[in-house]
Amino acid sequence: MKKILLVLSVAVTPEKAIDYAIERAGMDKTGLVVLYVIDTEPAEEILESFSDVGFVGDRPSMRLSESIMKEYRQRGYDEIGRVQIKAMEAGVEFEPIMEQGDLAEKVLELIRRFDIKLAILTKKGKRSFFKYLSRSPSDEVKEKAACEVVVFTDE
Amino acid sequence: MSVEIDTRPLWIILALKSLRPIFFLLLAILFWYFIKMPSPEGLTAAGQNAIAVFLICLILWVSNMIPLAITSIFAIILVPLLGILTKKETYSLFGNEAVFFILGAFILAGAVMHSGLSNRIALNVIKRYGYSPKRLLLCVFLLAAALSFFMSEHAVAAMLFPMLLELAKSLKLRPGKSNYGKFLFHALSWGCIVGGVATFLGGARVPLAMGILKETTGETIGFLDYTVAVLPLVFILLAVGFMILTVLYPIDVAGVDNAGEVIAKRLKELGKVSFSEYAVGMVLLLTIVGWISLGRTLGLAAVALGSVVILFVLRIVRWKDVEDYVNWGIILMYGGAITLGSALDKSGAAAWLIKGVIGRWSGAPWTIFALVSLLTIFLTEAMSHAAVIAVLLPVVIGMAGKMSVDPVVMTYSVATPAGLAFMLPMSTPANGIAVSSNYITVRDMIKGGLIMAIISWVLFNLMAAFYWPLIGFGRLR
Repeated sequence: MKKILLVLSVAVTPEKAIDYAIERAGMDKTGLVVLYVIDTEPAEEILESFSDVGFVGDRPSMRLSESIMKEYRQRGYDEIGRVQIKAMEAGVEFEPIMEQGDLAEKVLELIRRFDIKLAILTKKGKRSFFKYLSRSPSDEVKEKAACEVVVFTDE
Repeated sequence: MSVEIDTRPLWIILALKSLRPIFFLLLAILFWYFIKMPSPEGLTAAGQNAIAVFLICLILWVSNMIPLAITSIFAIILVPLLGILTKKETYSLFGNEAVFFILGAFILAGAVMHSGLSNRIALNVIKRYGYSPKRLLLCVFLLAAALSFFMSEHAVAAMLFPMLLELAKSLKLRPGKSNYGKFLFHALSWGCIVGGVATFLGGARVPLAMGILKETTGETIGFLDYTVAVLPLVFILLAVGFMILTVLYPIDVAGVDNAGEVIAKRLKELGKVSFSEYAVGMVLLLTIVGWISLGRTLGLAAVALGSVVILFVLRIVRWKDVEDYVNWGIILMYGGAITLGSALDKSGAAAWLIKGVIGRWSGAPWTIFALVSLLTIFLTEAMSHAAVIAVLLPVVIGMAGKMSVDPVVMTYSVATPAGLAFMLPMSTPANGIAVSSNYITVRDMIKGGLIMAIISWVLFNLMAAFYWPLIGFGRLR
């Protein structure tokens, strides 16, 4: 049975995206796969910046990088828990997955692996000028995914 | 095993893969062109080579294509190779007092962190004074600044960050949404940045500037002299910064009782004050007294390294701890920066550049001061603070001589603003850490940072114009 994928990230996912995912899963009588992707880039960037220009050595830098990753994981559990409660209340089958790495890459991989029919993502709202300069991972997924993709904009 | 297939167009893949080799090839051609072109009038061959090395380092420091320390090593190789300075002169510059002062200060800061003293002080201050939402923010802001007076601002940010994450979680602040969260992490980064410019210890940039000043003019700046000159700016910036944050992010939490519980739990985990905490605290205190009272006679480096020896005699730290807490690459970077500054000065390249840039312009010295400080504030947003000093200061010191301005005053025009980078996550690790929390977005940082950068520049110049003459500093020659 084709499932619905809800993608959560380090930034808080808006309620409307969660509600929409659960509503669609309920209507289509299908399961909901919830993916939380831990973006390792900020922790890696901090570590790099400390090694390059920082005034402290490896140990404090590593501790700092670990605390960022710990925080992201914890935030992932919280976010997944938030969706789980709503899914249980709506009687929707729920499958949580936590991954680490590039968001677009992980989402596309899961779409293939779980035979997803609808992927729901969120992206940050950008002003018109910046919209043309940068591309969000959600845009990349929308372009490459072999399923329906709905992107919510978090203003 | 999974095989990743790059589905991008071939020309994009090839272009991206060849970007780095092309960059270095162009750099090599540019360098070759500069050293082989006929020497301009008034510039010696050594001076021309020094300018070529300077430009290559400038490009590498700005582009960050290789680590900063490696760029410095590159300069150290090129300077004797191109006959700018002799081998003996070049390598002896690495033995500059400023390099050893920085080394000693880093080891001391490492000992403070390793002992847990800084952590305990932070927790106790927050527990004692952070009992209301506004007071908690003020506490974090002032604590980050005050700790950055005595140890590197990066160490302070690294130490306080996990604590603030726990506080934010206990207060159930929503990342990217909560005003209180934005305020809290801005307080961390701004506190570290402002506090970091108050003494020689906060940013370790001033010792580098002092090293370049001493190598080029023989003059120096005392530990207390520097702090007395910039302290009013620090206090005013702290007050203004807090006001700006209060306006930008009105407090949206009712109480901070949960935060108190987190702090109490952390303090309980630390247990009683240990011998090493007492000892490190005492050594640090005596070192600061030594820097103030004996700095000019014994030298700042001797005092710092003397304290390091005491730490080992008392077995407060082991060499393994020191190795892990000190960024040795930065020491290399500082040595190379001083070498480059000296090469520009001794080869006559700095004087030639200034003659070309200033020409017959006879602008008021304070106009130069204001322009240099403005340029520094903007450059430091995109470059490493130390690299800004390495690039600007040799030229600015030379400019001081030509404009009849005290080179010590001009050193301040670069050394202090070089630390005031509020706008971008890459400007300084403290900003990067704050943004990585996700409570602050890059847009938030630019918005507040731009206001703060402009205010800092205005206040710095006002202080130089009105306060420095009162303390008998900043007179024109």
